[in-house]
Amino acid sequence: MGASAIASAETGSHGASADFGHALAQRERRFAAALLAPAFLALLATTTFPLIFLVWTSTFRMNLAMPFMNGFVGFENYRVLLTDERFWSSLLISLVYTGATVALQVAIGLALALLVMDMKRGQGWFRLVAILPVVLSPAVVGMIWRTFMLAPDFGIVDFLAINAGLGSQNWLGDPTLAMVSVIAIHTWQWTPFAFMVLLASLASLPEDIYEAARLDRATAWQRFRRITLPLLRPAIVMVVIMRTMVALTAFAAIFTVTAGGPGTATEILNLYAYRKSFTELSIGYGAALAVALLFVTIIISGVLFVLRRAK
Amino acid sequence: MTAKRLRTAIVLAISAVFLLAWAFPIIWSVLNSFKTDSDVLAYPPKLIFSPTLDAYRDVLFGSGSILPNLISSMIISVGTTVVTMLMAVPAAYALARLRFRGKKFAGFYVLTTQMLPPVGIIIPYFLVLRNIGWIDTYQGIILIYLSFSLPFAIWLLVSYFEDIPFEMEEAAFLDGASRLRTLWRIIIPQVRGGIAVTVVFVFLNAWNEFLFAVVLSGNTVRPVTVAMFNFVSVEQTLWAKLAAVSVLAMLPVVVLGVVAQKHIVKGLTVGAVKGGGRR
Repeated sequence: MGASAIASAETGSHGASADFGHALAQRERRFAAALLAPAFLALLATTTFPLIFLVWTSTFRMNLAMPFMNGFVGFENYRVLLTDERFWSSLLISLVYTGATVALQVAIGLALALLVMDMKRGQGWFRLVAILPVVLSPAVVGMIWRTFMLAPDFGIVDFLAINAGLGSQNWLGDPTLAMVSVIAIHTWQWTPFAFMVLLASLASLPEDIYEAARLDRATAWQRFRRITLPLLRPAIVMVVIMRTMVALTAFAAIFTVTAGGPGTATEILNLYAYRKSFTELSIGYGAALAVALLFVTIIISGVLFVLRRAK
Repeated sequence: MTAKRLRTAIVLAISAVFLLAWAFPIIWSVLNSFKTDSDVLAYPPKLIFSPTLDAYRDVLFGSGSILPNLISSMIISVGTTVVTMLMAVPAAYALARLRFRGKKFAGFYVLTTQMLPPVGIIIPYFLVLRNIGWIDTYQGIILIYLSFSLPFAIWLLVSYFEDIPFEMEEAAFLDGASRLRTLWRIIIPQVRGGIAVTVVFVFLNAWNEFLFAVVLSGNTVRPVTVAMFNFVSVEQTLWAKLAAVSVLAMLPVVVLGVVAQKHIVKGLTVGAVKGGGRR
């Protein structure tokens, strides 16, 4: 039964009586409710209920190691959070990690898509190879990089660094290098995503505009700046939004590589909330950190959506 | 002419560098999985070596075999996929084709559920599942995996349901077929391809999940992404075995990814037009 038939029945243009149309519409509603019920009950139970429970938990002192101290504390966790230096530093690390990985993914992905687009042969190779990183588990990716790529001496990156005259580096032990490493790993895994999406939208751009531009003797840079970039904007914004959401909640690829270390050098807010809850067993405060992360996510996505609407 | 040649050469060189950069870590893990530990640790790194299956033999059939973990991963992923599809197909059909009040809100609700940070909802999951004794069980993990697989599957399927012409349903309905029968006999066969793609992606996401698994698994149910840690400890790393386990963990998703190659972009960007997306 199609919606169009219902629509015509409802407006009466079908010639059927209003009663008949009404009965049909009601039956359709009931059918829809029955089809939706299982999925929506499952979503309520696995997303909405946990969210409410999370906010509720964040108003408690709840420590699994010291249950005798547990109790309702109101906004106490949030008061502590505002003066918690580790919270602010993890928030900053989250923002640096997200900003750097998203910018790199879009820049490299776009450059490669432009490079590959005009290739007559070899595009297939790119499409095939680009799929490999994105289907892998970030946990496995992190593990491979931590060991076979970044280990001192025989790790390939270190081997290349030694041969380039940079000397052997402590890629995951030095605070700055560790941050560079986790950013590089995330960028390695997800640039193919930006590349594939942007290549697909490049391929769908109208040919004749470029033809006209060429007749007008526009330079390559002008064509890129004045035609390609504006036409590609929706796709770029979409990639930025999607990748930002994922980078903000990245977990496995940092957890497996540095576990937030050395010290707290790569501890993004997400990881701090996890460590607080499940390593230090301070679940109430961990919940408050998670709520803070949710707020940050909502604010950033709000900003991105406004940017998307603009122009 | 020479300028053009030079350009081609540069493009080729850059392409080669990037192709290598993406493929190399994976190829290198595969090579290492066929080495002995001393070959893995050799300096300079060995590209040519005498291959051995020892690492695979040890991780599959030795003590501390990861075979049970691979089976765990398989049960979790297949279970998640089956339950997700049973719920998502009817829901997606309703959202794509039926008329009812609150339809827009329902679609929006599905999207917003994807915005929740996993690290936030794992805390209540842990507390509740611990109370009902579902930590370290398949039903516990599969239930929680619905939180990300359902919204994803519903939105991907909606995009396929929207592509079928209305006339088919109308014809069937006028013939007197019931709604359920129409859905099952006429509509479902039309979106077979979309269902197959959705199955691939739901399986892939379930197989790759890590955060929920690390908190909710235990000695009975431990997927391979978590069990991998057995091979890396503070005292020592079991290099060749770790490589073998990584390859075994990568194998199913790489095969599925290559099979679903044409649909990858659509699967990765689903829901993006309107909202989030997650991994």
